[in-house]
Amino acid sequence: MDTLVRLTDVSKTYDSDGAPALARVTMDVSQGESLAVMGPSGSGKSTLLNLIAGLDRPSRGEVTVGGERVDKLSETGLARFRRRQIGMIFQFFNLLDDMTVLDNVLLPAQLAGMPTARARARADELLAALRIGSHGDAYPARLSGGERQRVAIARALVNRPALLLADEPTGALDSATGEEIGELLLDLNSSGQTLILVTHNPALAARYARRVIEIVDGRVASDAATGARR
Amino acid sequence: MRAMSAWPPAAAGPAVRAARGGLSGRRVQALVIGLVLLVSTAASTLALGLLVDSNSPFDHAFAAQRGSEVTATAQASTARLAATAHLPGVTAAAGPFPETTVTADVPVTPPPGVSGPPGGGIFQTQLTLVGRSSPGGPVDDLTLEAGHWPTQPDQAVMADVRGPGEHLGAQITVTGAPGSPHLTIVGFASSITQTAQAWVLPSEVAALRAPGAPGVSQMLYRFSSAATGRQVGADLASVRAALPPGSLLGAESYLTVKLQDTSSIAPWVPFIVAFGVIGLVMSALIVANVVSGAVVAGTRRIGVLKSIGFSPGQVVASYVIQVAVPAFLGCLIGVVAGNLLSVPLLGQTAQVYGVGALAVPVWVDVAVPLVMLGLAGAAAVLLALRAGRMSAVQAIATGRAPRPKHGYAAHRVLGRGAWARLPRAVTIGLAGPFARPTRTAITLAAILFGVIAVTFGAGLGTSLNRVYNDLSHSSAEPVQVFIPGAPGQNGGGGNLAKAAPGPGPGPAAPSLAAQERAVQAALRAQPGTRHYVAESDDNIRVLGLSDHVSLVGFGGDASWTGYALISGHWYSGGDQADVNTGFLTQTGAKVGDSYTLTSGAHHLTIRIAGEIFDPSGGNAEIIASQSALAMLDPGLAPDQYDVALTPGTDAQAYADAVGAKATRPTPTPAAPRSSSSSSAWSRR
Repeated sequence: MDTLVRLTDVSKTYDSDGAPALARVTMDVSQGESLAVMGPSGSGKSTLLNLIAGLDRPSRGEVTVGGERVDKLSETGLARFRRRQIGMIFQFFNLLDDMTVLDNVLLPAQLAGMPTARARARADELLAALRIGSHGDAYPARLSGGERQRVAIARALVNRPALLLADEPTGALDSATGEEIGELLLDLNSSGQTLILVTHNPALAARYARRVIEIVDGRVASDAATGARR
Repeated sequence: MRAMSAWPPAAAGPAVRAARGGLSGRRVQALVIGLVLLVSTAASTLALGLLVDSNSPFDHAFAAQRGSEVTATAQASTARLAATAHLPGVTAAAGPFPETTVTADVPVTPPPGVSGPPGGGIFQTQLTLVGRSSPGGPVDDLTLEAGHWPTQPDQAVMADVRGPGEHLGAQITVTGAPGSPHLTIVGFASSITQTAQAWVLPSEVAALRAPGAPGVSQMLYRFSSAATGRQVGADLASVRAALPPGSLLGAESYLTVKLQDTSSIAPWVPFIVAFGVIGLVMSALIVANVVSGAVVAGTRRIGVLKSIGFSPGQVVASYVIQVAVPAFLGCLIGVVAGNLLSVPLLGQTAQVYGVGALAVPVWVDVAVPLVMLGLAGAAAVLLALRAGRMSAVQAIATGRAPRPKHGYAAHRVLGRGAWARLPRAVTIGLAGPFARPTRTAITLAAILFGVIAVTFGAGLGTSLNRVYNDLSHSSAEPVQVFIPGAPGQNGGGGNLAKAAPGPGPGPAAPSLAAQERAVQAALRAQPGTRHYVAESDDNIRVLGLSDHVSLVGFGGDASWTGYALISGHWYSGGDQADVNTGFLTQTGAKVGDSYTLTSGAHHLTIRIAGEIFDPSGGNAEIIASQSALAMLDPGLAPDQYDVALTPGTDAQAYADAVGAKATRPTPTPAAPRSSSSSSAWSRR
């Protein structure tokens, strides 16, 4: 399989005199893969995800996604990269509360320059597939946690990104809803969507990812395949 | 909310859609921005419009009439005066024109419904009269407003500030001249620099001069450099040097006339401008504060926008639109409100200048909202740029809590020593502002300017109250007893001096002397009298000054009457006088100088003992002993008594009691001394 994400000797330090959040991490992620990044709080897993998404810059090392050196891009270049390559799901959804569900989903498509009719059709298709089609005109504050995370997933997928990044996607949900979201992610991966999932929940990682990397104190402590179903 | 979803259309840019979301989600914030811009734009439009219009009418008329930059009165030969037209720096000159000051009687018929002497009265006034063969000329090209220029000796054109009884065809009598010649008013003309109050043919002036009056002439000049008082002073010095010593009796700069013309609005324009500037600064600070608040509150939102692909430019655009929409609406309504508010104020200004109608200039209507929008936009751009440059992760993290390390020191200090005795909740609150120092500084600056505005407004009110007290003398002389029919009762440039011959006999009025005796007796007899002094008022014309001079003469010690002294001391002795600021400005004299006044054939040299606070409508005012001022104005006679009361005496009861004892006089509690310009009888 082709390599989609490559990190080479990547370190990230927030304070010049502090311990690195990530230390000399080198890893590859192939296209279509589902990878879970695990580790205790403060181990550096979210930092790793942010570096891959271009939301933050490494202190040293190279980050390449889809053949593009993310660490070398300008702010505008990073914005363009995120629109085209990345779909991101956060633990606390990060929806725009002053926009409707439909507008939230449409916004990345509009940023990417997708024709209006096509964007609308894609948004409707996603909302229907995620079973929130009836909430298009609602505002996020009126939805349940699970519904909001579905909206976030729809927004992340609207531009058909090469890479879907999920940072603790079930962390703010009850277990039943979390399971539903997990199943959704698994289905997406089954259809070819590359997925990197950050979680501190070993059961979730084992169930929904085919490969698990464990990070401890900013370093890759283990990298192993799981028996997750496909 | 549903209605807003229809806008903007789906095809609109993401920045616009994000801005719309921000606007609908923060309506109070948008409302505050809009209101701040509305008020600031309205205040600035009003202030700037008034400022521009307070100067422009004079300037336009001055340019159109080729106004006289220096109007000089001199006693020199025609040839010597004519030669001054060729002095270096003189670009144009007119004259010499023969000049004199005359006393004139104008018959007055009271309008229907207004009480007055039976058969009408005589309006007595003094005029600076100049002989000119035509209204035109290279300098002071008069505008003939009505009628025609004199064609024969017994005709006059009056300045177009029509006093009572002055109309085309009216006949005035020059009382001081031999034979009391009559002049028929054949026209009205205006001179922007008020070079005279009446014009006749040059050959007529000699016949109108009072016996003993000097044969003086008027010269009008324009110079290559006369923009400032210093330049005009230098120009005048060159004219003075070219004439025989002492022959230049008086000279007036157009800057003085301009100052007088603009004085009706000049006192409050600075306050409006100051308020406008404060409003401008406050609006900038408040907008910066509100926008920074919006950015800080929206930092997490910025992080989210960036995480889904917004570029820094799109973030800036989104936030600038979010500010620009309410700001634009505020400016739009503000400029309309400013224009509406200016209507009554500019109407008054137009009346003062006689220029028909004034409006806020178009460039002000365009410039003010643009500047205000620019200010708001700049504040928005600067703060949004800063937020736009943050990484998405940093923005999301900062949106949840202040950036690390900010305010740590304050927290540490407030947690130790004496501070530690305070409740922890208090010290946390005190340290809070240090976490966002820039925003705290902007808030402090806005509060500071707010306090300045409140202090300024309260101080202005207190100052105006003090001005009222100083002008009314209500504390020092709570009662003033007026003598009806006495000269000076009209307070203006002329006096309603005597009744015209009526058709039948009427009740005989007591003589002024008898009335004075009655008032004095009543004041002496009335308990509660502390001091009283006779006051004589008149307005006369003196050579070298375009406007009349107010004379206030006292028949005894009047140092207690409540005049506020700006400098110097109260006059003592017959050769001393106190003058107001207007006198010093118009004559160029200083406290301590001696100054000679010439009115008709009468002269008076005074030493200026002090400068008093009495704007007197921009006119010059002299306060001295009655006996001294009578040398300049022999008709000066007491017209009122100023009375100070012993502590605890009720002014109204005292006035009523004195009124009952004195037959004709009418005592009243003191009111503000009316300035001559506010009188219907005034003459400019």
